[in-house]
Amino acid sequence: MSEIPPVSEEEFRKVCEFLYRRTGMLFTEAKRYYVQRRISDRMGFLSISSFTTYFAYLRGDVDGEIEKFVNAFTVNETYFYREEHQLRCLSSDLLAERVLAKRPGEALRIWSVPCATGEEPYSIAIWLLENWPEVDVQDIEIVGSDIDTQCVTAARHGEFGLRALMRLAPGLVEKYFVPTGQDRWRIVPDLRESVQFTSVNLVDPAETRRHGAFDVIFCRNVLIYFDDASRRLAAENLFDNLAPGGFICLGHTESMSRVSSLFEVRRFADAIVYQRPKGGARG
Amino acid sequence: MPLVRKPSTPTPPTSSASLTDGTSDERWAAARLAAEKPDGVTVLSSALARENDPRVREAIFTGLARIATAKSAAAVVPYLRSDDASLRTGAIDALRAMPGAAGPHLPHLLADPDADVRLLSCELARGLPDEEANRLLCELLEGESEKNVCAAAVEVLAEIGRPEALPSLTRCATRFDGDPFIAFSVKVAIERIVAPPRTRRE
Repeated sequence: MSEIPPVSEEEFRKVCEFLYRRTGMLFTEAKRYYVQRRISDRMGFLSISSFTTYFAYLRGDVDGEIEKFVNAFTVNETYFYREEHQLRCLSSDLLAERVLAKRPGEALRIWSVPCATGEEPYSIAIWLLENWPEVDVQDIEIVGSDIDTQCVTAARHGEFGLRALMRLAPGLVEKYFVPTGQDRWRIVPDLRESVQFTSVNLVDPAETRRHGAFDVIFCRNVLIYFDDASRRLAAENLFDNLAPGGFICLGHTESMSRVSSLFEVRRFADAIVYQRPKGGARG
Repeated sequence: MPLVRKPSTPTPPTSSASLTDGTSDERWAAARLAAEKPDGVTVLSSALARENDPRVREAIFTGLARIATAKSAAAVVPYLRSDDASLRTGAIDALRAMPGAAGPHLPHLLADPDADVRLLSCELARGLPDEEANRLLCELLEGESEKNVCAAAVEVLAEIGRPEALPSLTRCATRFDGDPFIAFSVKVAIERIVAPPRTRRE
């Protein structure tokens, strides 16, 4: 049985600095075992026996290794009500502020991008129906978009397994899903019809532009995978897709201030979010 | 169900967008569109020389980085010498975002008469292939007289340094003998480079 030996102190620091510069994720000595495990897993998978060789492979992003390595440090699995504190922030603070900026009859627009197979935009819809008192008087348009057209098709279909529903109370599953088979449930037709799905490439301004301006964008756990150039462009595209005063919610390991100075930081009781300045321009 | 479903309502692109006049929002929109046009580099570089709004400048730098040609990199390089810190930062970020286009400028930048330019350029070397970055940074270390420039080069070598960089690092430490910061930085870089290779236990 082969085994990758532990990384040295210097190697550990090299990897941590690389990860921090690249993603903003910070790992201290206390997380050494966690980091070590992921390095060993990747080296083992690639049959690379030398850390030096692996680090060069990683830095060179050979065969998309950076994404695979970063993936090993993030929770890729998506499920309903993931990062619930941001949903609480949406209903407690963000929407109330955005409603004040709306003309009578104008819909609030919420964008979930990337939306994977639909868990996030459907979560937003369910959360608002359950937790936002204004939901009956305010028009709300929810759009989910992903670069992967297979994901978009699956999202439109709206069928999920047990693991995706693990955070939902049984009453919510009963109310918003219909069973379709062994441990499978499908979103009820009314709710499926309430969420629009599209494909989009976040670094293509022509594609993002056609989606129009949103009041709140959920863009979680995608910017960390982009290189510097793509991240800059995606940040500017997202800025254009926000109405002045609109909000963007990122994943918990992400920080827009590392990507762009365009946004202002807003701290609410339940979450830190980024905002397009109300005046449109800064400086 | 009170949620609504209707077609997306895109905001039409500003048809009168101009980089030479108009509000900052219009100039921002124009900068974003310029990168998609054939004369983008000319339009953006000429606008950068006049633009004072930081947000519009950022869009111009992003546009030039997006074009990522030798010409667009050349349009950014002069701003490494700007007295305005935000312009210097914008320039270094843009060049970092187009490593392939910025690479050919690096030998000149690392030999620039301005020490601040040499210092900023060390960071750009991080984006080059290891072998080329080691060669360029070692050449710099052998002749560099500014301590802070050497420190910037040593910091990059701490991550990407190869054994062939060891003599240059050692000579750099000797040249700044008595400077505790350089001594410490070089020590860390050397320790990382000579860390024993890890091999798989069978």
